[in-house]
Amino acid sequence: MTDREAISYDLLAVSITGGSPVRHWFLRLMFGLAAICALTPMPSVGQTTATTPYTPLRTVDGHPDLQGIWQVVNTAAWDLEAHPASLGVPAGHSVVEGGAIPYQPSALAKKKDNFEQRATLDPETKCYLPGVPRITYMPYPFRIIQQADKVSIAYEYLRAIRYIYMNGNPHPPGPIDWWMGDSRGRWEGNTLVVDVIHFNDQTWFDRAGNFHSDALHVIERYTPTGPDHLLYEATIEDSNVFSRPWKISMPLYRRQEANSELLEYQCPAYLLEQEWDNPASTLFDEH
Amino acid sequence: MSQQIFAAVTTLTVVFCVLLLAPGPAGGQAFWREDTPKIPMAASWLAEKAELPPYNPPRTADGVPDLQGVWGGSGGDGLSYLEEHEYVDVTTPAQESFVSDPADGKIPYTPWGLAKRNEILAGLGRGWPGESGERLYSSPSAFCLHYMPRFSLSALEIVQRPGSVIMLGEEGYRVIPTDGRPPISEEAKFWFGNSRGHWEGDTLVVEVTSLNGRGWFDSTGHYYTENTRMTERWRLADENTIDYEVTFVDPTVYARPWTMNFPRRRPGTGPNMRGGRITSAVAANAPAFEDPYAGEIWEDACYEGNREGPASLRALGYKWFRGVTPPQ
Repeated sequence: MTDREAISYDLLAVSITGGSPVRHWFLRLMFGLAAICALTPMPSVGQTTATTPYTPLRTVDGHPDLQGIWQVVNTAAWDLEAHPASLGVPAGHSVVEGGAIPYQPSALAKKKDNFEQRATLDPETKCYLPGVPRITYMPYPFRIIQQADKVSIAYEYLRAIRYIYMNGNPHPPGPIDWWMGDSRGRWEGNTLVVDVIHFNDQTWFDRAGNFHSDALHVIERYTPTGPDHLLYEATIEDSNVFSRPWKISMPLYRRQEANSELLEYQCPAYLLEQEWDNPASTLFDEH
Repeated sequence: MSQQIFAAVTTLTVVFCVLLLAPGPAGGQAFWREDTPKIPMAASWLAEKAELPPYNPPRTADGVPDLQGVWGGSGGDGLSYLEEHEYVDVTTPAQESFVSDPADGKIPYTPWGLAKRNEILAGLGRGWPGESGERLYSSPSAFCLHYMPRFSLSALEIVQRPGSVIMLGEEGYRVIPTDGRPPISEEAKFWFGNSRGHWEGDTLVVEVTSLNGRGWFDSTGHYYTENTRMTERWRLADENTIDYEVTFVDPTVYARPWTMNFPRRRPGTGPNMRGGRITSAVAANAPAFEDPYAGEIWEDACYEGNREGPASLRALGYKWFRGVTPPQ
């Protein structure tokens, strides 16, 4: 716990006890423990609770077998934070640990501006690669394919393919501005940990205008919690935009249909076809 | 020069070429000299194949032939022009036809189909001989769209898993179920169609249905329709070569079935390595430099980086290609 957080919990204690400063050591200890509990990652945000750790099947390379077709069942694609329903938007709980994304004050203003102008500013409306972690919780399935040198994720959305290299190479030297960043993976126990950097500043986290800069650093964790479930966690760091790292988590569900397969969502094709013959289209105006 | 700088310069060069040549085929564009020897394709491969001894392929744990690994694509002129041709311009050097059957190397269009093909060719607006002066359509590849059979003609990595064969490309992928499931309804159409695979002897046979008929075979208007069915045959001809054959059936535009055939080579193998010409980073992992990243595929973001392309083509008056509609 940082000093600043300790101070805020003292203030919390003050407010709860009706203004009288909490001086008794026992109460201070209790509030301290409560604070630690509040800050400790708990299996509360959409996580499947497992009392005994799940022992996953292994690939021929001896790693946990995460292969298959997966998809989220939540509303993070619309808004990572808690939000009410609106036309075409289902209501949803926050998938952010602690509830709110810790924006710096100036960044929060930009987020609000993004939200107001989301119909035109959201890069999803232009069919661009959506970035990481956004592509994970878009409402399309994806397939994980494991090989000795890499884990590949094939997304139905845009037919995008993402290569997570496990070949011992570090991130290549930057600066590099990639839409999906540069992904390097490693195993920690049963968890696939993916370190992603080298992003551009063009993608958002959701349709609500949550955004980042090109200093974004994402650490993803894929942990099998049962034969048909993965726990997906992503820690997000960007000192240009946020006051501290923050984390999202959600389950990924294995698609159960016997005929499940990745079809395709070729967004640019549909968008260009729609806009091509529209004289009022602004899609082509940027140049 | 470090590899990163080299890669950046290469990327910039490609981008520059694409911009310079627009409207034209995007991606992997090269400048070809007029004295480039005719690039081999189906005819040369048929002659080479006839001399090869029988090959008994290695097998996976499932007992099927092991096709796994990185494989080059057709190479050649980067899918500029499918049929045999002499040098046209810097985009299109002399090259044999992709078509192995019929033997004349021509796509056996019906009269209506051929008239439509000639109309598209005359409207490319590339300054080629015989153009009508009207701008009609540009290749779907100029918009960075992904479709069949272009994906299958390009470099890719094959990964085999129980019940499926996966093909990983530079930008995009394809999963072919081999578990005997039926295809999706033909009412549902896709740029990649819907693929189902099975093994016939040592050959992976892939039936592709549900094509939406929006893609082209090359960059110059050889087309198929939403009635076209495609059957691919993937077979190891030797340790380092896949004999790739693909047959198209569509009575609405072709007078009879026809077939393309060419070899796919593992990186750095094959006679003349096609002159070292590489169409994709997937095939580029021959260790020309001691670069630990040489075998990796890095983000291309073709569509995201090509915003000027569609805008300029639209401003020039090109139409959006919605497929052809053959007479009933």
